Amino acid sequence: MASTNNKIKYFLYRHTPIILLFTSILNETDFNNLGTKYFSFNFAYILIFYYNLKRENGFGYIYIFIAGLFNDVIIGTPMGLSSLCYLLLCTAAAYLRNITLRPSLIKDWIFFLLTILVLNFVTFTYLIVFFNHEINYFDQMINITFTFLLYVIFAYLFNAYDKITLGKFN
Amino acid sequence: MERSRDDFVIAIRSAFLKKGNKQRFSLLSLILFSIIFLILGNFNFKIINYNKAIIKEIIYFSSSIVTIPENIIKNSFNNTVNHFEYYAKYQETKKELQELKNKDLLKKIITFENIELKKLIDDYFVEDSQLYAKVLLDKESPFLRSIVINKGSKNDVKAGMIVYDDIYLVGKVVEVNYLTSRVLLVSDINSKVPVTVHPLNIEAIMTGYDMQKGKLQYVMGDKLINNNNKELIVVTSGSGGVFKSGIPIGKINTLNISDNSEIIVNFYKDFSQLKYIKILSHTKKIKKLDDLNETISKKNDDQFLEKKNPLKNIIINKKQNINNVLEQQNKIAEEVRKKLIKSYDELNRKFLNVQKKLEEQKNEIKKVQIENEDLEFLKLNLLYGHKCRKTFLKTNLYKISSSEYRVCVLNKGRTKKN
Repeated sequence: MASTNNKIKYFLYRHTPIILLFTSILNETDFNNLGTKYFSFNFAYILIFYYNLKRENGFGYIYIFIAGLFNDVIIGTPMGLSSLCYLLLCTAAAYLRNITLRPSLIKDWIFFLLTILVLNFVTFTYLIVFFNHEINYFDQMINITFTFLLYVIFAYLFNAYDKITLGKFN
Repeated sequence: MERSRDDFVIAIRSAFLKKGNKQRFSLLSLILFSIIFLILGNFNFKIINYNKAIIKEIIYFSSSIVTIPENIIKNSFNNTVNHFEYYAKYQETKKELQELKNKDLLKKIITFENIELKKLIDDYFVEDSQLYAKVLLDKESPFLRSIVINKGSKNDVKAGMIVYDDIYLVGKVVEVNYLTSRVLLVSDINSKVPVTVHPLNIEAIMTGYDMQKGKLQYVMGDKLINNNNKELIVVTSGSGGVFKSGIPIGKINTLNISDNSEIIVNFYKDFSQLKYIKILSHTKKIKKLDDLNETISKKNDDQFLEKKNPLKNIIINKKQNINNVLEQQNKIAEEVRKKLIKSYDELNRKFLNVQKKLEEQKNEIKKVQIENEDLEFLKLNLLYGHKCRKTFLKTNLYKISSSEYRVCVLNKGRTKKN
């Protein structure tokens, strides 16, 4: 009985981020476009960065790649763009994990800001140069700001969730 | 410096190429794969498009499945909210319905009263025949505004029948053929409809002015301006006997009326959009058979009694006549008395008003007189004040505020008095 419980908890610990990622991408409710003018954030960025930073194996690059493809199809951006951004985010997180000896939330937070700025730069450049997309920079600035600000809150939440699910394993 | 560069390279290489325990692809390979996807996406190859379509189909399908729970929650929430809204609306509607029912009852009572009153003045019409007809277009009409309908003498349509759209007046039938008829609209310049303007109760003649407007004739604008109503309702008056009274035609906006301007009636109905119309003819209500029988039998009984007792009947008749005459005289006397009392009251009121005005005017005159005296005193005071003012040397004169001083000044000095 105890081992079954542990198995369930381990399953949740391991797969919740993937489920969350796919649910957030496939659901109709998109945090990137909540319908309010002054509030939106990129939940996928926070999720991917946090779990790739905290777990050595992340939650599987291939899943992230597929999630990126799904996101592109659903929001209508060129296929591969979100995958590229997610994977670059994973790279940044992996790099930070490799160079960090003493983890600090503030440092992670600042690095996250730099990373999302670079990623958005890549996205906007690609969309503008190759596809002549019109981008509302004000909305994007709001999105980046809230993604950055909410990272800390979500980091605490994910950490708390990990502690609950992992419990004894930790 | 070189060491830190080495660390950076090692960290980057590790990030890109290191595969975890359960990773099958390195980051670098997946990034390259994404870039290939992006590049291929720019080309319009059949295979790529085909693959794209398949991927999209799979993703849309997955998305629709994943969205089911969310949609269930959303729909449940919306249903709950809607339920509460419906309930609130239901309560409002219930209240409104009750109010409308009350109004309807009141309307029924008023209608009944109206019918009874009209019966009294012999102006109550009943619908004799009712027909519905379709409107056909007529471009070669000799009239400006007329329509042709698909009912004629075959359907018992007669010239002069009134044409309605719903309850509103449209016009009257002016030409009847076997299968069709022509209706002259009230918006035609040749149409002259006797109307009453409510609530002022002003009689006028309405003629056509525009497709959507009519014009009142033989009524002055100032009569309609000097009232508090923003809108006046125009209905048929029934004068002339062509139209029955009380058929709604249109309304007048009093804000648009000036002393010399034309009085425009805005019709309730758009005559350019007529499709189906109702043709009615009205006749005055014939008394019911039972009533007639009753009156006839009463008359017969009276005649029978007359034949039986001629002398007695003559006396009774005479008495009745005298009574009737006396009653009438009483009535007249009573009316005269009431009128006299009324006029007496009015005259009394007028007299009191005049008296009041007279007193007011007298008071004003007094005031003016006092003011004039004061002015005169002040003028004389400037000139002769020194002759009357008591000083150290002239002790036999008067103090300034005293009445003697005033008299002295008005007499232009003390000497004049002597």
